[in-house]
This record gives sequence, C-alpha cells and structure tokens, in this order.
Amino acid sequence: MAGSVASGTVYLKACDCLTPFGHSAETLAALLRGERALQPRPVLGREGGDAVPLALLPDRALDETAPPSWLEPVRTLLAPVNAAGWGTARRPVFVTSSNFGAGSLYAYRRSGDAAHMKYGALVNCVAWLSKQLGWQENVAIFSHACVSAHLGLLQASRMVQAGLADEALVFSFDFLSPFVSGGFNALKILNADFPAPYQARATGSIGLGDGAGYAVISRDKGDFSIAAQSMYNEMHHFTANQPDGAGFEACLAPLAEQMAGRRIWLKGHGTGTLDAGRMESGAFAKVFPGAPLVGWKGSLGHTLGSCGLVELAIATAAVRHGRTPGTIGSGAPTFTAEVALESFANENYDGVICASNAFGGAHAALLLSHA
Amino acid sequence: MLERYIQDICTDDAGTEALAETRERLKGRFAPGATRRMTQLGMVVGAALAKLEPVATDTLVYASTFAESRSLESYLDSFPAASPTLFQTSIHPSGAQQGLIGRQRSLGEVFSHSGVDQMPAQSLLTAMLAPAARVLLCGGEERGDWLVNYYSAQDRTFSYALALTREPGPAPLGRLALVPSEGAGTMKQSEWFDLLHQRRALDGPIGLGWRLQLNWS
Repeated sequence: MAGSVASGTVYLKACDCLTPFGHSAETLAALLRGERALQPRPVLGREGGDAVPLALLPDRALDETAPPSWLEPVRTLLAPVNAAGWGTARRPVFVTSSNFGAGSLYAYRRSGDAAHMKYGALVNCVAWLSKQLGWQENVAIFSHACVSAHLGLLQASRMVQAGLADEALVFSFDFLSPFVSGGFNALKILNADFPAPYQARATGSIGLGDGAGYAVISRDKGDFSIAAQSMYNEMHHFTANQPDGAGFEACLAPLAEQMAGRRIWLKGHGTGTLDAGRMESGAFAKVFPGAPLVGWKGSLGHTLGSCGLVELAIATAAVRHGRTPGTIGSGAPTFTAEVALESFANENYDGVICASNAFGGAHAALLLSHA
Repeated sequence: MLERYIQDICTDDAGTEALAETRERLKGRFAPGATRRMTQLGMVVGAALAKLEPVATDTLVYASTFAESRSLESYLDSFPAASPTLFQTSIHPSGAQQGLIGRQRSLGEVFSHSGVDQMPAQSLLTAMLAPAARVLLCGGEERGDWLVNYYSAQDRTFSYALALTREPGPAPLGRLALVPSEGAGTMKQSEWFDLLHQRRALDGPIGLGWRLQLNWS
C-alpha cells in the first residue's frame, strides 16, 4: 500500500494567510509567544448553546451578514497578489474550502432573508467572490473536507509543471458559522474543552477557527519550493482513520524516500481528538523517527478545508524567521516523545513536511523547503 | 497530447425519481441495509462507480456542482438540534465516498471538483494530468427541493462514471482529447452528462481555452 506521490519541484512565488492574529508574520509572532486565539463562545451564535472554543477574526460574529463579513479581510489578504489577470486561460485560480458560503445558507434558513442566498450555495459563493476580486472565468473549485487546500496545491502544481499555466493562484477560505460549529458539536468532538493536540488525556476535543490563505505557484520563481506532494485515501470510515495508521503511513512513505538522510521537522494536522492524534503522531514517529512534530490548532483552532494552506503560510514564515512555534495548548504526557511542546530553532533543518487529514480517511502531505 | 481512451462507462439518468424509488432500484448494488443511510447522489454515483471496479492504483476525479443538496436542506432544517449524520453526509465529496467506504476501496489520489460552466473541462484536465495508469472520472447531481429555487441545487438526478486510460488497448469505447483553443467555451454538468449518456460525439468548445474532441468507437 503506497500513497500517490507527485514529484517535480514547483516554487512558492508568494504565500500568506489570515487568522484571528493577522497575516502570517503576525500569526507566527503570536504563536511564538504561546498565545491562543480560541475563546469560549456560544456554539450557535446569537441563538446561544454551549460555550465552545472558537477563534474568530476580530470584530467578526459567528452569525453571517449580507454581504458576508469576511469579504473585506479576504480582499486585504489578497491585495499584494490580486493584480489584474487571474482567472485567464494561462493564469488559473484554484479555490478550495469546506465551508464556502454555508454561513449564508444557515442565515437564510434561520432568518428568511433571501439576500443571504446570493452567497450561500458553494458555486454561487465562488461566482460572487470571483466577481468581487476581478477574476475571470478560469476558476476551478475543489472541496474535500480538511485536505481541500492540498488538492488545489497539487492540481495547480501539475498545471504549471505541464506548461499549461504561467502561474497559478491557489486560494482557500473557511469562515465559521453555526452551520459548522453546530455540526461538530453534534458529533461531540467540539465541546467545552480546549484542544490539546497529541496529548494523552481522558477526552479529546477540537476548536474551530476562521482562516484563509493563498499561494502563487510558479515554475521557477520563489524562495520556497514544494518538491513533492502525496495523497492517500483510505475509504475506511466516514469519521475515523484506520487505527493502525497504515493509511497515513502510506501517504508519508513516498516523502520519506525523498527526504532520506536529511533533517526535517513536521507540521501535523493535530486537531485535538484522541484517536486521530494517536494515529497521526504514531505514524510520524514510525516513518520519521526523531523528527520534531508540532501542531498549531490548539491556538488557531481547526481552519477546516483551508488548514493546509493557512499552516503552510505559517510554516514558510517560521522558516524565514528561523524558529518554529511549539504545540500550543498541549502538555505532557504526549503520545510520542517527538511532539515538540515548546518552540525551537529551525536553521539546521533541510525541510518541513506539512500534513493534513480529513473525513473519510483522506491524507495529504507535502515537502516544503528553502529553494 | 491531452487525450485518454474510454475503456468503460456507466450512466444513470434517474430524472425526477424519488429517493425511495432510487433506493428500491439500486439496493441490490450495495451491501444489505447500506442504502438506508445513503443519499440519492451517493447511491447513483456509488452504483455507477462500482461497475468500474475501482482498485487502489486508480486516481478518482469526482465532479458535482451542487453535491448533497437534500442532505444540506435537511441538515439546515435540523437546527437548533443539528443532525450529526446529515452534517457528515452534506460534506463534499460524500457522494463518491459513501459507496467506496461501504466497499472499503482505498485509493491514492481523489480529486473532488465543484463548479458550473468550466467544471467539465477542469475535471477532464485533472483526469488527464494525473499520472495514474487508469483514472476514474465520475460525477452527478441529485434533485433538490427548496434550494432549486435559488439555483443552488439541480432539478434532476443523474450520475456518470468513466474509466480512462492513456493507451487505447484492444477495444476502447471512445476517445477524449482536450485541444488548446483561443476561444471561450462553457459546458454545464447536465450538458456533459447528456453527451455521455446519449453517446454523442463532439468537437467543440468546452471551457476557457479548450476544445473537446469526443469520439465513440
């Protein structure tokens, strides 16, 4: 059993993210200070419910507005790269998310205000966003739960490598609403506790966070490279992975071959659930023994389909800065000795494996390094 | 050359069939009792895909404009007591996963597309750039209820699944090629389905910068 690996280097000409702390530089600084963006908030917004850990952009409410409150922060995030020309035949856009305009759908159904429906359904939301950002019609959409961003990165890389695109913009966004917080609360993994990724404790829990990110993929420009990307889909269970970690190991194995003999650190998925955390950290320790493992969802919450791109942007900022944030919110005992609870200097490492896992036993990972 | 050969195809035009009718019609294609928890889209896509007998080395490209519309509608109406089952089944790409999880069919790459006028071209590009020897390209829609009024769900149910290879082999059913073009083009998922279901040939625009050549043997 082996994951499918895409070899062939592409470059990150630009990469940034948006979290409740700000863009990638501000987010990195906050993580290095050990700050937590998650705050207890009512799971159903203005309709109340249990207090659960959510990380919302400053001044943004869980209940959606019309037009959506996340548009202006997204516009600001993309301003450095959103020059005219995206969405043409040679400059495609790949939009990824697991939420899209779900908050607007929820707002419509609870309020009856049809104004929300302009942004509600997945395709309507992206069509409206494309118009707001001045993109032309070559906008591809991928949605595969928490590995969504990885699909966009992989297909964008293939388009660029095949010479079918000059550059590609991958953009991912997931903003919280009662639609998604209510769903995870119903699954009983979003509860009153704060997440403690990879910590061996009695009960697991996750937090959820607003997040968006982008990467401009280029054939030859950029100070970071993605040398390999891998995927594996277990199709084992809707919400659980193969407990022995074999599926995730299959995803990691091709990257391990490429990294043989080199020093790496690991940016894991680390939502805070127990079974997934045990499986993930165990597979990492088996395939990359001794490599330090960190996860940042204990501070930022889970940014869902966008986490792969949000955390990639933070990883690039960490490499630039020379220091990797630790696994905030977690503590001893951890599932494996490799879990790094504190920040560490990363100048002596050759690269970073960034991994995400999703519903349905979907696993994705990529190898990031300085060009 | 961006071309692939069609080795197998399965299409299902369920039209305005009700969920219970689809369940009755397709229950024999799944494990006993499995369809009780499946969506209409999950059943029609799962049945079409099963005919192609997916194996671990295949890449799967799945395309749906609106995905699980009925689950989405029911999930929204379940608040304030949100339904965990409907939440799970409303998440893309549940339509493709339901049948594959039921059969425990692991795969390497799975690409889950959405989109409107460019989606058939984009999903074909994804299929043709995948390095796997065989790519399964599948998709479908399910008939929605109130979301149809907001162009947020399809008004009919259908599915398709194609097995595509680089080499023609001894008896290909057809050939697909994407040819660069200066012009603009669009094709909706329902138009793409009709083309496949009726085994019609095409040499015309399909997306921005692409023309599709589809020939049947």
